[in-house]
Amino acid sequence: MRFPLLHLPRSLQGRLLLMVIGGVAGIWIAAAALTWLDVRHELDELLDGHLAQAAALLVAQQAAETEEDEHGINAPSLHRYAPKVAFQVFHEGRLALRSANAPATPMLALAGSAEERPQEGFRTIAMGGATWRVFATYGRERDTQVFVGEQVESRNAILRAVLRSVLTPMLFALPLLALAAWWAVRQGVAPMQVLSRMLARRQAQALAPITVDGAPSEMAPMLAALNSLFQRIAELMASERRFTADAAHELRTPIAAIRAQAQVALASSDDAERTHALQATVQGCDRATRLVTQLLTLSRLEAGSSPVLGRLDACAVVREVVADVAPLALDKQQTIEVEAQAACPVNADATLLAVLLRNLVDNAIRYSPTGARVRVVVRNLAGSVSVTVADSGPGMSDAEMAHLGERFFRVVGTGQSGSGLGWSITRRIASVLAAELSVSRSALLGGLSVELRFPLA
Amino acid sequence: MRILLAEDDPLLGDGLRAGLRQLGFQVDWVRDGGAAERELRAQPYAATVLDLGLPLKDGMAVLAAIRQAGLTLPVLVLTARDAVPDRIRGLDVGADDYVVKPVDLNELAARLRALVRRSHGQPQECLTAQDVVLDPAARSVVQAGLSVPLSAREFDLLHALMLNAGRVLSREQLAQHLYSWGQEVESNAVEVHVHHLRRKLGSALIQTVRGVGYVLTRELPRP
Repeated sequence: MRFPLLHLPRSLQGRLLLMVIGGVAGIWIAAAALTWLDVRHELDELLDGHLAQAAALLVAQQAAETEEDEHGINAPSLHRYAPKVAFQVFHEGRLALRSANAPATPMLALAGSAEERPQEGFRTIAMGGATWRVFATYGRERDTQVFVGEQVESRNAILRAVLRSVLTPMLFALPLLALAAWWAVRQGVAPMQVLSRMLARRQAQALAPITVDGAPSEMAPMLAALNSLFQRIAELMASERRFTADAAHELRTPIAAIRAQAQVALASSDDAERTHALQATVQGCDRATRLVTQLLTLSRLEAGSSPVLGRLDACAVVREVVADVAPLALDKQQTIEVEAQAACPVNADATLLAVLLRNLVDNAIRYSPTGARVRVVVRNLAGSVSVTVADSGPGMSDAEMAHLGERFFRVVGTGQSGSGLGWSITRRIASVLAAELSVSRSALLGGLSVELRFPLA
Repeated sequence: MRILLAEDDPLLGDGLRAGLRQLGFQVDWVRDGGAAERELRAQPYAATVLDLGLPLKDGMAVLAAIRQAGLTLPVLVLTARDAVPDRIRGLDVGADDYVVKPVDLNELAARLRALVRRSHGQPQECLTAQDVVLDPAARSVVQAGLSVPLSAREFDLLHALMLNAGRVLSREQLAQHLYSWGQEVESNAVEVHVHHLRRKLGSALIQTVRGVGYVLTRELPRP
């Protein structure tokens, strides 16, 4: 169960309307309450003053008329308020004068003896079924006691009249105000409704920036955020499309090679030629497989789900990878060696790090000639671990190093068929692992040297 | 027919070279754009198969450069780029044909033959001179309705002469048509092949221009 007033409408329009109308009504009611209090206070002061003054007049009059001893019982009641006002004048304990509506008994108790002090001041009493405001005073001789009373009801009538005059306009104004507020709010939220209609109508592929005519400045940040989101999505989609197209194109070449070699094998009558073509066909298949694996790795990496990095020993991963690819090096009569310190803790994902290192070592072996040297060094420099893969191969020119990292770039004249994707993958993994990758000429071996440097773990 | 193959992929290049050789082409293979342009400028190839994604110099740039240099040989672009704008650009820059990988070797050979034929103003598939009909696709020669068996070199030589009927070709030019790189060319090879052709087809077909070379006459000289 919810308190209904706390449950604001879901629509902005409804909320604004409720708040505006509620606020106005609240302020008005508060103003009426303040007016009530203020008017009552002022009225009490004024009318009490009148009571006091009338009492004083009666005291003075009684003093002047004492000798005549003529008891005019009833004073004339001329005004319509007259029945609501009553007075009594007692002289030496006897009723000397009273208004027509005043009872014969004293409104307040009379003093029992000459020593006792007569009544004085304001009282509120019940008399004849009504509430009266009574002012009592006495003459200097203490023999004259005057009571002047007024029905409280008459004061309340005045108060109600004042309140009525304050609240009545509100009854008419409030619906009008509600109408005006409803219209204004509706006008105010119109651009948002335009926006929501535009968004609802949009095709999933439409990523052009949105503009809303006459949008208020409050909407500008939202529109800007929305458009920047659209732009980022568009860029992502373009990159995806480019990647798919590039990948498809890149696969065409190995497929074309497989087809050509297979056709050569089919048409060949020469055994050596046929064998060569068939071997090349198999190589082509391996190559296409490798390419597909690389593309999948890259696309998984680019999907952006970042793996959980854990603390692991880089040296162990390096040894594992080198042990894996060492047969490749031995086939080419290359020397491969690992120089690793005891403890090289890094924050990484074991699988990704292995893929990265395998790429580096595999590349070094593949692109270095028969009999070359490949050296993997793992160093721990004051907590910052670096893995360097260097070879005695042909290395790279500065221009080639600059091109490195363009997807599908590969170096000419290596005699190796590659897609150039390996480096893209290596770079992507390095960035996922927050490691720095740098390429240089190996001072020791003369070939390419690639260094992977992890931040302080 | 001697052609230049410009393809950077080792497996594909190897396969295309072997396949086109099987189909009777003499194939020189280069692996980058710079070499392709250099060779095309230096040697009289009948046609070239040009990959667009070449290292050093993009295939499109090679194409533009050789057309700029006034080379008119047929260029068949063989590429992985299959987008229509790529095709249009390739053809506009000066390609004669645009083939997307992968391609059937026989189709590639047929396209090359058609390109070479048309580049010599020959609309029909078979070349005819006097009573000799040469079918480049079947690699057969028929004289007066009878098939004449020719060796591969003899066929290539006759093919070159028939394509250039009426034009005098030097021994060096003919040798360049016959042999690709790495093949031993004996000094009198062309003479020997011409001699064999004359023996098989009669002496009226190929004339010697002393000190210059040989010419094939399409019509029998009037008696």
